[in-house]
Amino acid sequence: MASVQDLKRRIQSVRNTRKITRAMELVAAAKLRRAEQRITALRPYAETMAELIAGVGRASSSVRLPLLEQRQAIETVALVPLTGDRGLAGAFNAQIMRRAFALERSLQVEGKTVRWVAVGKKGRSTLVFRRRDLVGEYLGFTDRPAYEDAQAIAHRVSELFTSGEVDRVTLIYNTYVSALTQRVTEQDVLPISPDILETDEEERATDALRGDFIFEPEPEEILRRLLPVYVETQIYRALLESTASEQGARMTAMRNASKNAGELIDTLTLRMNRARQAEITQEILEVVAGAEALT
Amino acid sequence: MAEAHPKFDVALVTPDGAVFDGEAQMVVVPGAAGEIGVLARHAPLVATLKAGSTRIHLDENEILEFATGPGFFKVELDRALALVDDAVNVKEIDDERARAQLEAAKAELERVDAGESTADRWQLEQRIKHAENQLAVSGRTTG
Repeated sequence: MASVQDLKRRIQSVRNTRKITRAMELVAAAKLRRAEQRITALRPYAETMAELIAGVGRASSSVRLPLLEQRQAIETVALVPLTGDRGLAGAFNAQIMRRAFALERSLQVEGKTVRWVAVGKKGRSTLVFRRRDLVGEYLGFTDRPAYEDAQAIAHRVSELFTSGEVDRVTLIYNTYVSALTQRVTEQDVLPISPDILETDEEERATDALRGDFIFEPEPEEILRRLLPVYVETQIYRALLESTASEQGARMTAMRNASKNAGELIDTLTLRMNRARQAEITQEILEVVAGAEALT
Repeated sequence: MAEAHPKFDVALVTPDGAVFDGEAQMVVVPGAAGEIGVLARHAPLVATLKAGSTRIHLDENEILEFATGPGFFKVELDRALALVDDAVNVKEIDDERARAQLEAAKAELERVDAGESTADRWQLEQRIKHAENQLAVSGRTTG
């Protein structure tokens, strides 16, 4: 049986760990709030962007732009799993990679080739460990992704797509539902779905009221510039969602860890008190036995 | 001027939220083919913007100026909307910071050219453009 001293030391060590996990929980909660705010802040930009694309798309006569090209035969697919730079977030990173590898297997069964773009240190190290070839890696910003980070990724995948190196680009990331729930999502960002250029009857009606727009330059030219920005916006939103999810997952994981530490402290304290009591009882017995021996 | 210009809604929006959203008399944006100035009751318009300076005239005396990145501009029913990837108020431009950004980006670009770095070339060019833009705008207003 462990001595009172040993137990005391262990309790102290668990207490220290609990302090750390509690602090991390609070930090994650603060970062989560910030990430949530940034998702809200992006909304007006993203919505106006979608409106603009639909409006310009309607005005364009023929739309044959490289980013819209739906290829007949999909031979190569780029998978872009968005992971965190750090662990200690429960199953957050593992879930993403598990889904990514499952997707890879099903694509390979169909005879397609898979290329990887790593976002986040955790995803990169898993991919390198499994000896996958990376056609791009973007690290060190998942705590606080900037729009430029999204631009860099968007630029790289657009390049892969237009050069014909890949025929489809799929993001795998956690969408943020709430602090407790994250949903692993697959989203094809390229080619851009032609649906975004279409509008419903209601929008067409309000559009007619506003009269004809002046376009400068031609609508086709504007669309050519809008589409890459649309891809950037999509990726930026995914990055923000992923960050919020990561902080949510970390907060939950740390809360559980703190709770476990508390339980462990309780059990250890009980055991320590028992050990101390046993020691005292033992000592009394020895004293009594000694006194009896003298008489 | 005897009578003030009528005001209309103007918004300057970036992916990180609206930088300006309110009423103004006039807005001047850096269109791809030249500056575009818009007053109230302007005809509906859609245009592309290049990196440059966006000015929002609140009234005769008060003008807000922003260093803005590339983006898009839309005017509809007395509402003007500029969508840009980044916007910094010229009064809040930190010269030191912008210069540091510029130096860092240029150094990185040289390493890319020398084949020592795998950073994204296009991203670096964007960073350089934005930093230069901030410096240009702040230089013009102070000097």
